[in-house]
Amino acid sequence: MSTWVKEDSVTFFQLFCIRVLKTGRIPQHIAFIMDGNRRYAKKRSVDTKLGHYRGFDKLSETLKWCLDLGVPEVTIYAFSIENFKRTKDEVDALMELAKDKFQKLLEEIEQINEWGVRVHVAGRISLLPPDLRKLVSQAMIATKDNNKLRLNIAYAYTARDEISRAASCLVDGVKNHHITPQDIDEELLTQAMDLAEPELLIRTSGEIRLSDFMLWQVSNTMLYFSDVLWPEYSIWNLLAAIIHFQRYAPPPKDEDDISPSKLEFLEQLNKDRWQILENYVNA
Amino acid sequence: MIIEQMPRFFKPLKHVVVLVDMDHHSLNDLARLVIWNLVAGVPYLSLFDTTGELYEHEEKLFYEVEKLKKGVPGCVKWANKLPDLNGYTNGNSAHTLVVNIFRHRDGRKTVVECVQQIAEGSLVCKRNSREFTAEELDEALSQIYPAIPDPDMALYTGCLCSTKGLLPWQIRLTVFVQLSTDHSINVDQYLGAIHKYSKCDQRFGK
Repeated sequence: MSTWVKEDSVTFFQLFCIRVLKTGRIPQHIAFIMDGNRRYAKKRSVDTKLGHYRGFDKLSETLKWCLDLGVPEVTIYAFSIENFKRTKDEVDALMELAKDKFQKLLEEIEQINEWGVRVHVAGRISLLPPDLRKLVSQAMIATKDNNKLRLNIAYAYTARDEISRAASCLVDGVKNHHITPQDIDEELLTQAMDLAEPELLIRTSGEIRLSDFMLWQVSNTMLYFSDVLWPEYSIWNLLAAIIHFQRYAPPPKDEDDISPSKLEFLEQLNKDRWQILENYVNA
Repeated sequence: MIIEQMPRFFKPLKHVVVLVDMDHHSLNDLARLVIWNLVAGVPYLSLFDTTGELYEHEEKLFYEVEKLKKGVPGCVKWANKLPDLNGYTNGNSAHTLVVNIFRHRDGRKTVVECVQQIAEGSLVCKRNSREFTAEELDEALSQIYPAIPDPDMALYTGCLCSTKGLLPWQIRLTVFVQLSTDHSINVDQYLGAIHKYSKCDQRFGK
């Protein structure tokens, strides 16, 4: 059994419904704010840690649903920079959970590659403990050629931090004469971010705010708020969100053309980022 | 009526944004929203011009508000150079509402311009590590944006909830509340939104 993609989570009838929905527009990128693990634990009178583990299990089910639906990109908000302010016990438990899951990912790498899942961790990775940082970098490098489903995990992330880091790259680009200040435009700053624009953003557990997640990318995104706690999220909740999307979503935006010099700069930026990950692995 | 129905201990609401869609909202709808926010004691109201038409009609909106303002205590200040609307005041208890109109270009474009100015060296942004932190960039941006608090609540109508490009830097804690599915705007929906806002507890990060 695979840890990251839960295989037997779709019944025949559910698969039928998925097929019906697939005749319509399927969001090409869904972002999830997986809220409610702790409230779930409280409701069931179990340990908070168990709530987070249940939350991860739900993620592996959701990934299978997305693969069946043909959604090529999924982004999840796993850990915010603000979450470091939680109690030490809880932060340690969350780091432990992440370590465990990334370790499993590396152990099951053949299966992950078969699914075609590419894992990308977005956030200020330098804030992570060194062992987790290394595992995360290994996972990104090991899956970088997969192209069926791209899973972005926002970890040690806030949107403001992401915008600030992208801004640093452009300011440095000018300083090193790779680009001019006039080259800096909306498109270039957007491309320098960790995450691309989602078409649908789903937040569970009744909160109706973004909590510093993908603030830059959601300008043309349908926001969908659901009252269900994340560990109780079901395929029907997801399909309901997609029906709402098919009915009301704004039309997709046209891609802007990007000049060769800017493209070259972005490619270099990308190479530098992979180099940093290699350094973490070899540290 | 608004005063009577306000939640008794409602969370202080400093800044309300309305996602204005001129295909569906009339100037009278917006003028009523201005008055309700004035009466409710909200200090800042921003109208986000999603369709790009409100900006041209700003003066008409001003006259519409002036019409409805008669007899309502308090003062409406327009951030964009229009004269203030002073009402009769009850001693010092009179309240001031500042109305801003934001356009698309006040969102991502302004952040891009800020980054450009930092790159040119015309705007100073401290950097203590390899990359800017959110706090460092926030300080640079605060020199460009007007000094108003981040929006607490954004009101929209219709079945599609979207930021439509509303101020990306400022909306991290903004609560998005739907007034109606059919784009209508009335006072009961407005009061319902304030109740909904009051019930949302803020657990940012914790």
